[in-house]
Amino acid sequence: MIWLTWRQFRAQAFTAVAALAAFAILLAATGPHLVVLYAASGLSGCHPASCAGLASRWLTGLYIGHTYFMLYEFSIAVILLAPAVTGLFWGAPLIAGELETGTAALAWNQSVTRTRWLAAKLAVGGLTAMAVTEGLNLMQAWWAAPIGRAVGLGATSTFFAASRFNSFAFASHGITPLGYAAFGYALGVTAGALIRRAVPAMAVTLAIFAAAQIAMPLWIRPNLLPAEHAVVPVTSLRTITLQGGGPHSSQFHLGTENLPGQPGAWILSAGTVNAAGRATSTAPAPCTTRPSEESTHAFIECLASQGIRESVAYQPASRYWAFQWTETGIYLAAALALSGYCFWRLGRRLT
Amino acid sequence: MTAAITAEGLGKRYRSKWALADCTLSVPAGHVVGLVGPNGAGKTTLLGLATGMLAPSTGTIEVLGGRPGSGRAQLARVGYLAQGAPVYAGLSVADHLRLGARLNPGWDAGLARSRVERLDLDPRQKAGTLSGGQRAQLALALAVAKRPELLVLDEPVASLDPLARREFLQDLMEATADQDLSVVLSSHLITDIERVCDYLIVLAGSRVVAAGPSDELLATHRLLSGPRRDPGSLPGGVQVISASHTDVQSTLLVRSTGPVLDPVWIVSEISLEDLVLAYMSQATGRGRRNHLEVQR
Repeated sequence: MIWLTWRQFRAQAFTAVAALAAFAILLAATGPHLVVLYAASGLSGCHPASCAGLASRWLTGLYIGHTYFMLYEFSIAVILLAPAVTGLFWGAPLIAGELETGTAALAWNQSVTRTRWLAAKLAVGGLTAMAVTEGLNLMQAWWAAPIGRAVGLGATSTFFAASRFNSFAFASHGITPLGYAAFGYALGVTAGALIRRAVPAMAVTLAIFAAAQIAMPLWIRPNLLPAEHAVVPVTSLRTITLQGGGPHSSQFHLGTENLPGQPGAWILSAGTVNAAGRATSTAPAPCTTRPSEESTHAFIECLASQGIRESVAYQPASRYWAFQWTETGIYLAAALALSGYCFWRLGRRLT
Repeated sequence: MTAAITAEGLGKRYRSKWALADCTLSVPAGHVVGLVGPNGAGKTTLLGLATGMLAPSTGTIEVLGGRPGSGRAQLARVGYLAQGAPVYAGLSVADHLRLGARLNPGWDAGLARSRVERLDLDPRQKAGTLSGGQRAQLALALAVAKRPELLVLDEPVASLDPLARREFLQDLMEATADQDLSVVLSSHLITDIERVCDYLIVLAGSRVVAAGPSDELLATHRLLSGPRRDPGSLPGGVQVISASHTDVQSTLLVRSTGPVLDPVWIVSEISLEDLVLAYMSQATGRGRRNHLEVQR
């Protein structure tokens, strides 16, 4: 059975090796220069007080320089898309293709049970899909290490993922790509077994996979572990976003992307509370009657003097690997459940 | 000797439509069984059930005493050539033989090789570029070389030209003679069935309407012609399968275990084709529908 599986999978395996090689060449050709750029930036020996600003400027420079920003985005996109591609093109046609061409009757009437047939197919295709995705991931991690170090120095950037919890960064690093690849492949196989035609099965696989990848960071991941809460002075926030407020309006919203004393924390939500601890978005009277030439800074100072503080719900940076393992576990469990369903369905005579 | 196929109240339903209904059969081993019937009669469904490709909706089916497709041993005992002789278009002829060798413990490599050589197939040729006849022959070689006890062939000659069809059937006959093999073969071409089969199952309208050894079926069916009269006046034990009347004459195809002695009738032998057509037209409503139930 392994022989047949390999013989039928050979073309896909060559494609995968070629894709990995192309990715490796691209990154190997550009990676060393990124290291040179990092060394030239003076970040490796920077004064702790100026590191964050220097790192931010270096990242902005990379963005303006264009090439490395494009490569960065491209490499992340490749890692995020790889599980979908393997699920679509390897998973979906696995059973559906055999049914469409009628070769299922040939395959399932040799002296090998369908269970063994499926086990070999799932193992070879699924493990290869996982290996490919993780291979891409490791290569990218090596390539992007200088950018990661700059982020680690406290750089803020709207272009590069400034936090490891950033949706794109989280999904393209660590071990989560393994889970996505296993899930995408099992999803494709299951869709093929249910729909019995390869192309519609591919479409359904893509739709469900995309829905899962959107739902996970938006609604599921933030709730995997109970959030921590902190109330901090508004003046202690390093980066804030102020909507409304100031001298002309009594309504305001104060958001933040960092939390003092919690570098790298994942901010889930942030908002102001008054001295009584109640959420508020109405500026106290003294802060709205000031002359218009006074700055946002003064407005914030005024809020602080009126006892208004920022309440933040967050996940500490130390939970990064707990989140990685939990999410990977969820996807692997889903992949196993889908595989189990395929075994059950094939055992019950599919056609 | 165990029966090749036994079915009890077997039925297969797709949503609300029965593809095969209430099928009770016992086909002894050692025969070349012809399964005939119009398109959509349930031939493929019955063969799918016999190979375990389909699961019955009702009833049971046993093949060589085991549940179809129930395990390695059962799979090894039954060879299946599905409709359209599916092969992997991207694999070469040699790859197909390797596939058979790897997946079947009882694989007869010499037999497979000699068959492929005799067919003049280039082992390196991709199966997708073979002609319909060559593909069917390759698929047959695969099914035969696994040395099954029962070979199930679904419309194996449908796509073949007359010459290829004859070669294929000749090949099949040689294989069965060499191997002590039971064969179930479906076709809507009665001449082919007549040439190779010694046992017949007639399916029509999702039901088995007649089953038995060909010579027995032929011996118990007669064509009666005589002056016009009501078929009801025939003696007991005689069942009318089909009847046609002109103003003065009646022609009846009847099933009778004994001879028909009434001198009014001119009794003649019938061909297998007449017999099958009579059953088919009866079941499809062009004949006398009310006899459908009686016949089973």
